[in-house]
Amino acid sequence: MSVAAFDFLLDGEPRKISVEMRDGTLVVREGSRVLEAEVKRISGNELQFRFGGRSVRIYLARAGERTYVAVDGREFVVSESRPDTSRPGEGDEKSGETNLRVRSPMPGKVTKIAVAEGEEVRKNQTLVIVEAMKMENEIKTSIDGVVKKVHVAVGDRVDSERPLVEVEKKIESPRRAEP
Amino acid sequence: MFGKILIANRGEIAVRVIKACREMGIGSVAVYSEADAAGLHVRLADEAVPVGPPPAAESYLDMDRILEAAKATGAEAIHPGYGFLSENAAFARLCEDRGIVFIGPNSGALELVGDKVRARQTMEKAGIPTVPGMKSCSASAEEFRAAARSLGYPVMVKASAGGGGKGMRVVADDDGLGPALEAGRREAGSAFGDDSVYLEKCIEEPRHVEFQVLADNQGRTVHLFERECSIQRRHQKVLEETPSPALDPELRARRGETAVRAMRAAGYNNAGTVEFLLDRDRRFYFLEVNARLQVEHPVTELTTGVDLVRQQILIASGADLSIRQENLLQRGHAVECRIYAEDPKMSFLPSAGRIVHLREPKGPWIRFDSGIYEGLEVPVYYDPILAKLIVWAEDREAACRRMSAALDDCVILGIHTTAGFLKDVVNHPEFRAGRATTSFIGKFFSSWGTGEGEDERQRLALAAAAFDGLTRTTRAAGLPVRGGKREIETPWTTLGGWRAGGER
Repeated sequence: MSVAAFDFLLDGEPRKISVEMRDGTLVVREGSRVLEAEVKRISGNELQFRFGGRSVRIYLARAGERTYVAVDGREFVVSESRPDTSRPGEGDEKSGETNLRVRSPMPGKVTKIAVAEGEEVRKNQTLVIVEAMKMENEIKTSIDGVVKKVHVAVGDRVDSERPLVEVEKKIESPRRAEP
Repeated sequence: MFGKILIANRGEIAVRVIKACREMGIGSVAVYSEADAAGLHVRLADEAVPVGPPPAAESYLDMDRILEAAKATGAEAIHPGYGFLSENAAFARLCEDRGIVFIGPNSGALELVGDKVRARQTMEKAGIPTVPGMKSCSASAEEFRAAARSLGYPVMVKASAGGGGKGMRVVADDDGLGPALEAGRREAGSAFGDDSVYLEKCIEEPRHVEFQVLADNQGRTVHLFERECSIQRRHQKVLEETPSPALDPELRARRGETAVRAMRAAGYNNAGTVEFLLDRDRRFYFLEVNARLQVEHPVTELTTGVDLVRQQILIASGADLSIRQENLLQRGHAVECRIYAEDPKMSFLPSAGRIVHLREPKGPWIRFDSGIYEGLEVPVYYDPILAKLIVWAEDREAACRRMSAALDDCVILGIHTTAGFLKDVVNHPEFRAGRATTSFIGKFFSSWGTGEGEDERQRLALAAAAFDGLTRTTRAAGLPVRGGKREIETPWTTLGGWRAGGER
């Protein structure tokens, strides 16, 4: 059998696919979805996919564990899955389902802390302002909750690894058990 | 003419000036911060001088170090590019005092137009309409509130020393005023070293139309028509074009004359731009003078055939302006897209890192003004502009199509950029119809990236990564490389362990 299976992370989200060459056609399966395409390598960084009467150019480059892929002007980062939650730049880490560790998506300088520990926050509320590339960037919470810990102070230089603020998820009435 | 020019800037604009120097037979000196030691401008200049640590305030904005570098290398003139010291009157004066030519306006004119409040007063005196606003910056919280109420919300917080959207905030009501003033002051302070702000009436859904002016040291002044810069995000231009779809020849000629009059009133010399807002009733308001070479200057160059950087250098050397107004023509249509290191999928957060692959768009009437190369680590300290893609064509529709195709050819991997987003802007029906105002991006692109076809794009990305992984692994495993050169691989030659048609 000439089927290869891949456990990928696409922009941090796990995706499992299998690929197989059949009669010169690349057959890609993800769950029940199938994509069949003729693939031609144009250069080390450029592939041509032909399927359904269309031709799509895909550009890609590898750097270490990551493959950077551009499809129709959109960029994706694909890596082999080794669940590593501390990958930078891929958003916030949800620890133990209830807490949100908010990170800065880019290196910069903290110019304002907009919340205090113990404060209740609503989804999309600004927690911290980080200045990077001369612009102010509002770092917001993606959940409702209570600020459990503020890890940084005004003037701190931050990178994309270190958590800025930890938000504890508001415990609502327990979810109904599945029947 | 000068023998040597120091370029007090970085990135694509430093590269642009270095290339002009080369063509004119003038030596070029780059300066660089520790974060830019590997910068493209450092590689291309004849000489390069380090001027300090990464923060701009300690390097590119350090006037003494820049002037020392000019003295040490024997540069007779300094080109400031845009941003940094380009509109700093104190720096222009320091240059004048030390006998170094500042390639830009004289310090007096710079001081006048750089102070947005004084500039407005000068224009009003010259009979040029301005946006209603406060006459001074030194106001208490109560005075700001009173001014906002008398102007009528929405109002705009603006930095007195402003530019590039830094320090600007739109305020809808009393509640928003305090935080907006605070944020505006903070941003203005860190961008310009001057945190004074004032309020202007917010003209709703205006177009932003600016006129390029050249004036020699003897007072000869011409305009090189307009640029339409309405496509903005957070008050930062992302796409510019010329001619503006909103002007007719009569309005263009009238406003061009106004721009010339404005620059004369300010005693201005060298290259500069007069910015206007155009409201829904096609009324023009003077907004401000940008006393520098603009980021978007190439669209004017492509439609008029005038090399603005060369003209700046000629004017600074004392030469008479050889261009006459009656000989200037706009020909065809030009569009510029600013490629920023920002992630449009993540509300345009800055993206820094290594460029692992770069494919520059090429072709007839395609220009790529760039400050990057493959392998460059993009630093986090400065404006996120990476490059500008500029195209020219016979008419607007052809220019938009050329831009769309050129954006497809513009591939920057390793960091996020705005290239894909710009393609969607260029192809948007509202933009194509020439109807876009400054509210265009907010209205039609409040979110981006998960639109139609995202599922398929994701699957293609995964398939491509898998294909790439397989074809590379087999090569690494020692399969023969054909021809000894960089081979063109196909699955038929490289999918070693795979049996074509295996499942029959």
